[in-house]
Amino acid sequence: MAEDKYNLKNPAVKRILQEVKEMQSNPSDDFMSLPLEENIFEWQFAIRGPVDSEFEGGIYHGRIQLPAEYPLKPPSFMLLTPNGRFETQTKICLSISNHHPEHWQPSWSVRTALVAMIAFMPTSPNGALGSLDYTKEERRALAIKSRNAAPKFGSAERQSLINEIHEYMLSKALPVPEKKVVQTGNEENELEGQQIANQEDTETETQPAEDDEIVQEANGVPSNAHVAGEASNSVPANERQLLQKLETKVPKQADDRLLTWAALGLTIAIVVLLLKKFMKADGHGAVFLNQS
Amino acid sequence: MQNQDGQPAEPETETISSLPTSEVNDWANYRDDEVMQQHSAIQAEEAGKIPFVGDKEPLSSLAEEYKSGNPILLEKIKVLTEQYAAIRRTRGDGNCFFRSFMFAYLEHILESQDRAEIDRITVNVEQCRKTLLSLGYAEFTFEDFFSLFLEQLESVLSGKEACISHEELVQRSRDQSVSDYVVMFFRFITSGEIRKRLEFYEPFIQGLSNTSVEQFCKSSVEPMGEESDHVHITALSDALGVPIRIVYLDRSHDDKGSVSVNHHDFTPAAHEVTDANTGGAVALEPFITLLYRPGHYDILYPK
Repeated sequence: MAEDKYNLKNPAVKRILQEVKEMQSNPSDDFMSLPLEENIFEWQFAIRGPVDSEFEGGIYHGRIQLPAEYPLKPPSFMLLTPNGRFETQTKICLSISNHHPEHWQPSWSVRTALVAMIAFMPTSPNGALGSLDYTKEERRALAIKSRNAAPKFGSAERQSLINEIHEYMLSKALPVPEKKVVQTGNEENELEGQQIANQEDTETETQPAEDDEIVQEANGVPSNAHVAGEASNSVPANERQLLQKLETKVPKQADDRLLTWAALGLTIAIVVLLLKKFMKADGHGAVFLNQS
Repeated sequence: MQNQDGQPAEPETETISSLPTSEVNDWANYRDDEVMQQHSAIQAEEAGKIPFVGDKEPLSSLAEEYKSGNPILLEKIKVLTEQYAAIRRTRGDGNCFFRSFMFAYLEHILESQDRAEIDRITVNVEQCRKTLLSLGYAEFTFEDFFSLFLEQLESVLSGKEACISHEELVQRSRDQSVSDYVVMFFRFITSGEIRKRLEFYEPFIQGLSNTSVEQFCKSSVEPMGEESDHVHITALSDALGVPIRIVYLDRSHDDKGSVSVNHHDFTPAAHEVTDANTGGAVALEPFITLLYRPGHYDILYPK
């Protein structure tokens, strides 16, 4: 990519190119991050809101700046998507995420830091600078909004990278599970609530989204469902239930057919037995026996 | 390093009370920027005073430093002068042990042209690489540091390529992009060795900082600028199979008031330095001597 443009003798450049390669060869569903082609010390990233939190389903974009002394000095992170946990356009204080900058170590990487950031989202900000303490509802609303469009930021080249990352994340991240908390709260209304939730889900997706995005969603759901079957832990509740319904429907049809065949077989058996008995009682059987 | 028998509880409580926990928490309230600025300000100040690796100075300069100081120290310096000729100071940036070791080792190879030693240490370095991989380190996070160190090794030995001069070695040791990378290489080696022999190091680390081995490596070994202790020295010496002599210059003295200078030899575990040909242990007279004053290491040159 940028091999010819940069001085490969520069240890930072060498390392960064290695990280790009590693990021591309081991892609994750939880995050994506790539440098700008014009400057490999400037990266864009997106992380997926952690499962089982109010950020679930959210796609949060941000930028990373790597210092000239990278990896001996830590990178700095900044979020661009409003999320209710970190201020946007402000350097994230990674020291609050156990990544004390004075304890930064070169064995960490952009990947490590992004994983840490995801894990850190649901924790309490404790009034730390650059942190926000929005309510769960507000954060969930922002999570839904975050999927609709990637943030607008920077040069055209950067924007196209942001959009590319957004498309990738949309194909990986499940939609925001709505009313999840309400569902677990009152079980009686669960079914109703779920139906409403599903309706709302489609509504919110439909209203502001562009046509191609709906197509994306439509494509996304079944493929996600397959993944969900394997790792049901990471699947939001209503998705899981939907999946179970699908699963139980298919075997039911097979069961019905089996039952029909069994009933038919039984009827035949009974008829045969009755005939036999009838023949015996009639003496026909005896006649046959005597004859032989 | 070794505590007296039968009092395992005491050092523990001691370290708990002496741990600056409040200080640690206070740090969390600083912004990254401020912390980094503060750090680089301190570093810049230090850099103005002394390069990463200084020039060789006669030991009399040390006596000069304590001219009007503690009489015990002056007495000890006098004793030192009998055995040692010179001192080479390193910058007090928390990396001084690793930096001193780096220069002393490379200088030794440059002067001795000991090919066998390079071959031997290269085997150990390969072993350390495997250790880090088995501990779950991603190779791309440490390979650059390894290759840079091996490059330096090759460059001090006259062979295929022209061997660098002593002057060049000093220059490289003062060049941050080389010097810091080699320091970081030693930090990787040290961390890998400690994690690999967790059971062995655990009690020492417990006594030293009352943290887990994992936490100790994370906060006191791998980050640049974290000072070294006997645990680091033991681990580095063991992992690379290089004996190190540390001469202690402090105010301690015995009851009779007579002054002697203590030293401790960190001798790598024997099995790692057996000679492949004879099967016997290789002579372990340390060729690296460092002077320790509380909080700092410099290089000492024997007469």
